[in-house]
Amino acid sequence: MSSNEPSDALDAFESELTALGDLLDVPAAPPPADVAAAVRARLEADAPAAARDRPEPGASPAVRARPGPASREDEPVRPARRRRRRRWAVVAAVVVAVITVTAATPQGRAAVAQILRFAGIEIEVGDTTPPPVTTTAGLPGEHEVARADLPAQVRFPVRTPAALGEPQRVTVSENGRVASMFWPGGIRLDQFDGTMAPYFFKKLGPPAPEYTRVNGREAWWIPGEHPLGYIPREDGTQVPLRQAAATLIWQQDGVNLRLEGAGSLKEAVRIASSIK
Amino acid sequence: MDDDEAIARSARGDLTAYEVLVARYSALAHRTAFLLGAGNEAEDVVQEAFVKAYRHLSGFRAGAPFRPWLLRIVANETHNLTRSRGRRSSLELRLGGTAETRVPDDPQDTAVATDRRTRLLAAVRALPERERQAVVCRYFLQLSEAETAQVLGWPVGTVKSSTHRGLARLREEVGDELK
Repeated sequence: MSSNEPSDALDAFESELTALGDLLDVPAAPPPADVAAAVRARLEADAPAAARDRPEPGASPAVRARPGPASREDEPVRPARRRRRRRWAVVAAVVVAVITVTAATPQGRAAVAQILRFAGIEIEVGDTTPPPVTTTAGLPGEHEVARADLPAQVRFPVRTPAALGEPQRVTVSENGRVASMFWPGGIRLDQFDGTMAPYFFKKLGPPAPEYTRVNGREAWWIPGEHPLGYIPREDGTQVPLRQAAATLIWQQDGVNLRLEGAGSLKEAVRIASSIK
Repeated sequence: MDDDEAIARSARGDLTAYEVLVARYSALAHRTAFLLGAGNEAEDVVQEAFVKAYRHLSGFRAGAPFRPWLLRIVANETHNLTRSRGRRSSLELRLGGTAETRVPDDPQDTAVATDRRTRLLAAVRALPERERQAVVCRYFLQLSEAETAQVLGWPVGTVKSSTHRGLARLREEVGDELK
């Protein structure tokens, strides 16, 4: 490029590059109408969060509250906080709305047969049982709080399962994005805001997660103990936390939940169903 | 419905208007994501970008061009993806099958042209990341310098210098002469 030329005018070499761009093999984009419909469906998944008192998550999109300024006035929450919550909520709902079953094997994860993303959790399902995590670490910024202080410290409404009563211990992590409750006998309930990327990861071998329902909502039971970790949002790497016991995961009103240590699927669903 | 009207209506919560915008820009968004390194996850990136764009419409300056604003989000999403995968964004570029039909009839010219294109493409792939991004935006996506600056979030001067260095490297690699 001659330095005398206006920088947006192309010389022959630049024109050649431009022509090369037209010859590139770019995979066909999905039909525009399909993309538009998929995006709309995801945005409409925000509706249950905006109208979180409605009990029926299966209501058709047409009767859901439309996301938008008009739906903000149904709850006396400061607008900024509310907006943030709505944003988290839509993301969570989105992650949940579709279980993405990826048959592909991304680079560096060759042994992974499938990746499931559900309720803010990325589950890598492999052919063999992954080596257990032998250490135990806490979540970033995890600190114990009084049950009464939870609403002030957590960015979303935290619930308690009636079947278990008041927790023995409560912690808040990740600047109010994760609330964890602990009961005797190794039962713990983590509630967390949805994130754009999955927040927790689990690595599983056989048996595969089992589909179930909690109060009419889709839920998955991870039957065996398994490595659990989290994915820091700064760089997306996986940080192991501990070896987790069998866990039930589901999503409720824009919040992701994981109930660990209930022992059996039946008991986990019973406890989970008592969260209203 | 033009962009301005569709954006204004979308910002008021009109999802049908937003669908129009999404449909209008989805192919460009997809090409951008792919060429910036999203690879086979370009579709996911595009969906994510449109969802994010909708959530951030309130920050869109009325009357500004939608295209670079949207592509900035696409570029960011692509960047997040490649960063989260812990690898250099992969530029999985190949010449399309249509390449052969566009060159002169003479088989030797064809071979020479194809060879030159192949070498040029390989050289683009091998560019340092920033130079490659600048070259991809400026020539493969045909964005102006100002648009490239907005999409990549760089000062215009950085776009100029990265493009300039990238071009110099490419010329060195494949030669400036045109067949």
